[in-house]
Amino acid sequence: MPERKVSAFGFDFSPKLVILLIVLAVLAYGAFQSIYIVDQTEEAVVLTFGKYSRTEGPGMQFKIPFVEENYNVATKIVQKMDFGFRMDGQGGDLFAQNSTKTSFKDESTMLTGDLNIVDITWIIQYRITDPKAWLFNLDAKEKTIRDISQSMVSQLVGDRAILDVLGNERQAIEAHATELINERFAAYDIGVLVTGTQLKDIFPPEGNVRAAFDDVNVAFQDMNKLINQGRETYNKKIPEAAGEAQQQIQVAEGYATERVNKAMGDVARFKAVLAEYRRAPEVTRNRLYLETIESVFKGQEGTDLIDKKLGSFLPLKSLGPKAAAPVVAPDASAAPAAGGN
Amino acid sequence: MKENRLLIIAAAIIIVVGAFIVSGPFFIIKEGEQAVVTQFGQVVATDTDAGLKLKIPLIQEVQIYPNKIMSWDGEPQLVPTEENQFIWVDTTARWRIVDLKKFYESSKSLQRAYSRLDEIIDPAVRKTISTNPLNEAVRSSDIINETKRTGVLTGANGEEIEGLKSLISSNTAFNPIKVGRRDISNEIKNSVEQNILGQFGIAVIDVLLRQIRYSDQLTESVYNRMITERKQIAEGYRSYGEGQKRELEGKMERETKSLLSEAYAKSEQIKGEADAKAARIYAEAYGADPEFYNFWKSIESYKVTLPQFQKTMTTDMDYFKYLYSPRGR
Repeated sequence: MPERKVSAFGFDFSPKLVILLIVLAVLAYGAFQSIYIVDQTEEAVVLTFGKYSRTEGPGMQFKIPFVEENYNVATKIVQKMDFGFRMDGQGGDLFAQNSTKTSFKDESTMLTGDLNIVDITWIIQYRITDPKAWLFNLDAKEKTIRDISQSMVSQLVGDRAILDVLGNERQAIEAHATELINERFAAYDIGVLVTGTQLKDIFPPEGNVRAAFDDVNVAFQDMNKLINQGRETYNKKIPEAAGEAQQQIQVAEGYATERVNKAMGDVARFKAVLAEYRRAPEVTRNRLYLETIESVFKGQEGTDLIDKKLGSFLPLKSLGPKAAAPVVAPDASAAPAAGGN
Repeated sequence: MKENRLLIIAAAIIIVVGAFIVSGPFFIIKEGEQAVVTQFGQVVATDTDAGLKLKIPLIQEVQIYPNKIMSWDGEPQLVPTEENQFIWVDTTARWRIVDLKKFYESSKSLQRAYSRLDEIIDPAVRKTISTNPLNEAVRSSDIINETKRTGVLTGANGEEIEGLKSLISSNTAFNPIKVGRRDISNEIKNSVEQNILGQFGIAVIDVLLRQIRYSDQLTESVYNRMITERKQIAEGYRSYGEGQKRELEGKMERETKSLLSEAYAKSEQIKGEADAKAARIYAEAYGADPEFYNFWKSIESYKVTLPQFQKTMTTDMDYFKYLYSPRGR
């Protein structure tokens, strides 16, 4: 059979051409490999034969192909790590929305200093400050950050009473946690700086325990309600009683004034009459007497008048039922108000 | 055929050069790595510096190990404390290979190193935890006794309620700790270090108690204790409120009575004084002529009282003195 040089492309392959193509491909790959992009948020660490040579900033950068390697590290982004919960559907985005929350009770359950149990979720924010140290000084990066943060928060919570953890000590724990974690990271020299620790939810354990804690708050409200009720009754009654007391005193004052004024009036009248009487005692006395009797009997009918000498009349006079006797009605005009006692 | 031969030669050269490079005298240690060079299984060199290195091809072999901080994570273990309460202790440690030759001789693989760490750290944790009371492992300082507690004992208007303190006994002092969590961690680390450093070429950087939890059984009883504690406080609040209410009601009762009785006393005094004053006024005036007063008062009184009587008069009265005679009787 005649030898025919046939290829799938219907193209003649001479060895020279093959070598040329291989060389070109290698060159193209090399050129492609010598360019890399560093994002604005990143820094790139370049190794030459595995040894650190330089750190490059953002932009298009060059390296020697096959000899140098670049590792891009996001040094400007503040990253976030969740503890006690995870947000699904997003990474380290601080402002992610519409994501669902899954609880990690293994992380959030802790012992407090008074040997109670508390449930805490928190986040830490951190930034890579030294990309070289970050890349080459630490093996399990995320795990180490997680372990240290957990240990430190747990240590701080373990140093405080549950009520303090639930209440006033939140900020102290946050500040100390950041401090303690950074202390460790600095000692490890791993090029990470924690910029903040935020405690999210701090709750007593779910269920009956939490209900009991809530009940204390309710009881506190109840207490204040009861005290306020007491105050309300007190505030309602006391001014009323004070008014009543004042009323009583005012009435007495009125009585006193009346009593004294009346006495003075009576006395003034008596004095006036007495003065008159002294001028002409006999006549005045008689006049007063006669006027009195007159005013008593004036306008009244039916008064029996008996002559003392008519002794026989007496038995005939019925002293019995009023029906037979003339009824004597008090006559206002004839009976001026008498002086007091 | 000349061209084919050229191709074969070129390919052969590439293969030989490639094989030389691959199995050849060069090897790279990256940053964060270290290497051990063995010759027929025998360690001839260790190298911790990164860079391009040389070895004798085919005779020497190179194994790469990390030169980084490594993380060790223990399985949580159930350990009794000194007072025999069972708790789950979860520890974590950081370590690194500091003496590669020793490490290679004793462990060779990372996997074996990890199981070595398990074998040494777990018992150390167990030993230390079980010889200390629980609160020594939980607390690191006595800060718990120094924390100022406000808000818990204040009333509706923010004032401190003294009476509540006795009802809510959560303000008790805690036993001062003798060792503390930090030192327990250090103690574990030290006992681990004694066992590891010399033999295995490993340095333990730190051992930390990542988490301490009660055993499930204990958790239940702790929950119950927490609940009863809260209940007691809740009842304290409620009964205090009830008491305050009662007290206010009593105070109201007392003040009402005191107000009204004071008013009564005062009004009676006012009346009495007025009566006395009136009596004095009367006495002073009437005393001027008692005989005339008697007469005058009598006739004034007659005017009031007489009209009410049924009257049968006798002519014996002075009034009728002139009835029978113009000259009088």
